[in-house]
Amino acid sequence: MIKITDLEKFYRTEEVETIALNKLSIHVNTGEFVAIMGPSGCGKSTLLNILGMLDDPDGGSYVFNGVEVAHFNERKRADLRKHNIGFVFQSFNLIDELTVFENVELPLIYTGVPSSERVKRVEEVLDKMQIMHRRNHYPQQLSGGQQQRVAIARAVVNKPKLILADEPTGNLDSSNGNEVMELLTDLNEQGTTIIMVTHSEHDARYSHRIIRLLDGQTVMENIMI
Amino acid sequence: MCVSLTPSEPGRSQIESFLSKIFPDMIKNYIKTAYRSLTKNKAYSFLNIFGLAIGIVCAALIFLWVEDEVNYDSVNLKKDRLYLVRENQKYDTYVFTHSSTPGLMGPEVKETLPGIANTCRTSEGGITFLFSQGDKSVYATGKYADPSIFSMFTLPFIQGSASKPFSQYHSVVITEAASKKFFGNEKSVIGKTIKVDNKQDYVVSGVVKDLPANSSLQFEWLMPFQIHLDGSPWLKPWGNNNTTTYVELKPNADLATVNKQMLNYIQRHDPKSLGHMFLFSMNDWRLRDDFKDGKMTGGGQIEYVHLFTIIAWIILLIACINFMNLATARSEKRAREVGVRKVLGAGKNSLIFQFIGEAVFMALIAAGLALILLTLLLPAFNLLVEKQLTLGLNKSTHVFALILIAVICGLVAGSYPALYLSSFRPVAVLKGIKLKDSSAAYIRKGLVILQFSASIILIISTVIIYLQIQHVKSRELGFNKNNLLEIDLQGQMAKNYTPIREELLNTGHIENVALADHSIIYGGNNTNGMTWEGKAPGSEILISQRYVTPEFMATSGLTILEGRNLVVRDTGRPVHMIITKSLEKLMGKGSALGKTMHFEGDTTMATVVGVVNDYVYGNMYGKPDPVMFFVASPEYNTVMYARIKPQADIQKSLAEIQGILKKYNPLYPFQYRFVDDQFNGMFQTEMLASKLSRLFAALAIVISCLGLFGLAAYTAERRTKEIGIRKVLGASVTSITSLLSRDFLQLVVLSCLIAFPLAYWKMSLWLKGYQYHIDMQWWVYVVAGMLAIIIALITISFQTIKAALANPVKSLRSE
Repeated sequence: MIKITDLEKFYRTEEVETIALNKLSIHVNTGEFVAIMGPSGCGKSTLLNILGMLDDPDGGSYVFNGVEVAHFNERKRADLRKHNIGFVFQSFNLIDELTVFENVELPLIYTGVPSSERVKRVEEVLDKMQIMHRRNHYPQQLSGGQQQRVAIARAVVNKPKLILADEPTGNLDSSNGNEVMELLTDLNEQGTTIIMVTHSEHDARYSHRIIRLLDGQTVMENIMI
Repeated sequence: MCVSLTPSEPGRSQIESFLSKIFPDMIKNYIKTAYRSLTKNKAYSFLNIFGLAIGIVCAALIFLWVEDEVNYDSVNLKKDRLYLVRENQKYDTYVFTHSSTPGLMGPEVKETLPGIANTCRTSEGGITFLFSQGDKSVYATGKYADPSIFSMFTLPFIQGSASKPFSQYHSVVITEAASKKFFGNEKSVIGKTIKVDNKQDYVVSGVVKDLPANSSLQFEWLMPFQIHLDGSPWLKPWGNNNTTTYVELKPNADLATVNKQMLNYIQRHDPKSLGHMFLFSMNDWRLRDDFKDGKMTGGGQIEYVHLFTIIAWIILLIACINFMNLATARSEKRAREVGVRKVLGAGKNSLIFQFIGEAVFMALIAAGLALILLTLLLPAFNLLVEKQLTLGLNKSTHVFALILIAVICGLVAGSYPALYLSSFRPVAVLKGIKLKDSSAAYIRKGLVILQFSASIILIISTVIIYLQIQHVKSRELGFNKNNLLEIDLQGQMAKNYTPIREELLNTGHIENVALADHSIIYGGNNTNGMTWEGKAPGSEILISQRYVTPEFMATSGLTILEGRNLVVRDTGRPVHMIITKSLEKLMGKGSALGKTMHFEGDTTMATVVGVVNDYVYGNMYGKPDPVMFFVASPEYNTVMYARIKPQADIQKSLAEIQGILKKYNPLYPFQYRFVDDQFNGMFQTEMLASKLSRLFAALAIVISCLGLFGLAAYTAERRTKEIGIRKVLGASVTSITSLLSRDFLQLVVLSCLIAFPLAYWKMSLWLKGYQYHIDMQWWVYVVAGMLAIIIALITISFQTIKAALANPVKSLRSE
């Protein structure tokens, strides 16, 4: 599904140039659950952003589902993204002005799903995440675990092929964290490819494979059994 | 007053469910977010909407006023073809442009000049007569006019007809209002007779609709010009200018050609006349009535129209800037939303659309609020500008204009925040990286400086306009305008002048009484026909001539500097006169006493027997022009002056005067004016400018402060953690308050530096327009600057002190 080759990314300030990704090559198959680990500043998040087409690489190739996307413009990337990729963030990133239902509905609006279909799909996914009873609440009224479940619901409502999760349990206590990891595992078992950035060895154990990064390069890959 | 900027709980409302029915999903979602964001941040929304609403109110009031001015005389369907005949007279020092013309000119040019379709003559100014029916008598002001006035001007008849407006020689056409005044609610008044000035019966031959307030032509009644002509032989010589003449050109006529033919027309009949006629378009009567050297300067009321239009846009801009500043200042709050929307697939354009849409949405709410405020404020504004403006929401142009203003405000206010917000990179904002705010912060500061510069310029202008008006109003006029009463000389007053005067003086409350043929404060008859020994050949000097009774000097407060006062004996021949000091100087070196003067072509000599001080009349900003005084017997005069003693009770004195006049002149109601009121009336335009600029300067400051208030709130909020840390480390409340205030004060000081030279330049130009004006006062700038700083300080102090007093434990824990 994803094949990146010699991917490069630099950050420049006036004095220094920092290499975030240094000719990185990774391959992720459809249906895989991959964890990316590494110390702060190793390039994990940069990689995730490029994979999610939120950021563009300075060099190298990125083939998504057989299409080279490294030099797509913003509109093309946005288009590809909204149909194929769901995001889960550490800080949930729900919109405060929208209710649970409306937050989850938002991706469907952007992909132009008709209203009746939207209600059906949002209710379906809220049900699955067990937060149906909170559908008319606002994010501030929910606990952290609940908020993350809403965020995951939002990420999957469009039935994306790929979910990118950036430390999805970082702001949660361990029991809520485990719940979230179970959810992701379920999704993966139903066929969604998941790439997750994490600091937690515990969380990483849910994945099939751990990619360890250091200074923008792969240093080790562990296949989980 | 303390505004909390923390969000309150929003909820789904009826408004939302209504909106959801009419808009497509995406827009619906935007409106929903916008509406909730509005209700959630009530203080922020209030500052924005209220500021914008005040701006729109200001602009709307100004535009209503401008519309009224620009549409002056538009009631006339033939506006584009109607002209007033004006005359230029060239003198040594200047060209005198006026609109008095020879009485026989009108009909003659209609016959002889092919481009002219019609002409109409009227008597000059307004004539006030007493109209009596039975025992009811009222005054009404009107004109003598040729019947052609009804076909040239648009004067719709309610009764009678335009084809035969005057049914007989002594007939009168009145307005609806006059009809009410004379006959009450009687429906049909045609054919009724009414006694005019207790002398002659007139038949009412027509009733026309009342004229709108923004019409140059104003009257309550019109009588045939022929009556005026027959009773006034002096109208007939071509050398005398005492008639107003209007011209209607044929549709295809060439104005330049007609003007060329008019230029030396009077000279065909009177080769020595200085008058050269030209046509002055009705389109310019109200707005461009300013002449210099005989040519239109393009100035006049239009300058105020332009000035206030600019002020309207400036105030709107100030209000829009508030919006921009508050929107970008709180961008961090919206940043995550932008990020999420981008991640979920929103393009930059759709975000720009969303944020501009939000601004327009807010501006429309502001327009709604403005409409309510306008309804409440319009009566007061009408009182201020002395107009009868209406909101006119039944006019599609007005509704369209209001929506247009709101949309423009929304677009202007929303454009920059939209571009700024939509350019956020989702990666950065979602990671919670502190936004690099530098460019936005600079722009925000620049906008605050722009706001305050505009406000400071308005403050300075306001003060200088006020000082200038006060300066002229406290000007030494040369006579004493206080406690001086002016009464029209009517009926039997002239005949009974001596006993009336005696009795008035006997009351003990009246200091002196005199008669004159002109109001002392206004301009009037003047001549360039005088010559004297030593006057340079070809030199043209305009001298005002006044006929008075000998008590006039003492009554008005003029001082005799040399020679003696006029006495009754000076009436008739030999002609003796008193001149003013400036005329004495024009007549050559040394005393003018004993020098003589005469009309060119006339051998009758007038000898100077006295010299009085110069006094200001006509143009209160100008220099005193030369005057000569002659004695005339009472019946040649038109006004009576009575000086009430300073210590006398005014109401009591007036009652006494009324009683005495009633005795000697029983048929006329007592009417009077105070000269100082007339004096104040001469500053109407300037007073209006002064009042409006005061109002708008105040509002500009208020709007600017609303913005500053919000900005200070966000700055304090942003720096909560910093303030907490500083306090923990031992900073005092004072030091934190000054830390937070310093940035804003710098902006205000910078604004002063920008505003001062601009205000100096603009106000110097304005003052130059007046001959008699104040010097530029440097202290005005200091005061304006201090005022701006103090107002800004007070505004932000609410927020800074609140932030400084906050418990650091709380603010640090919340991070």
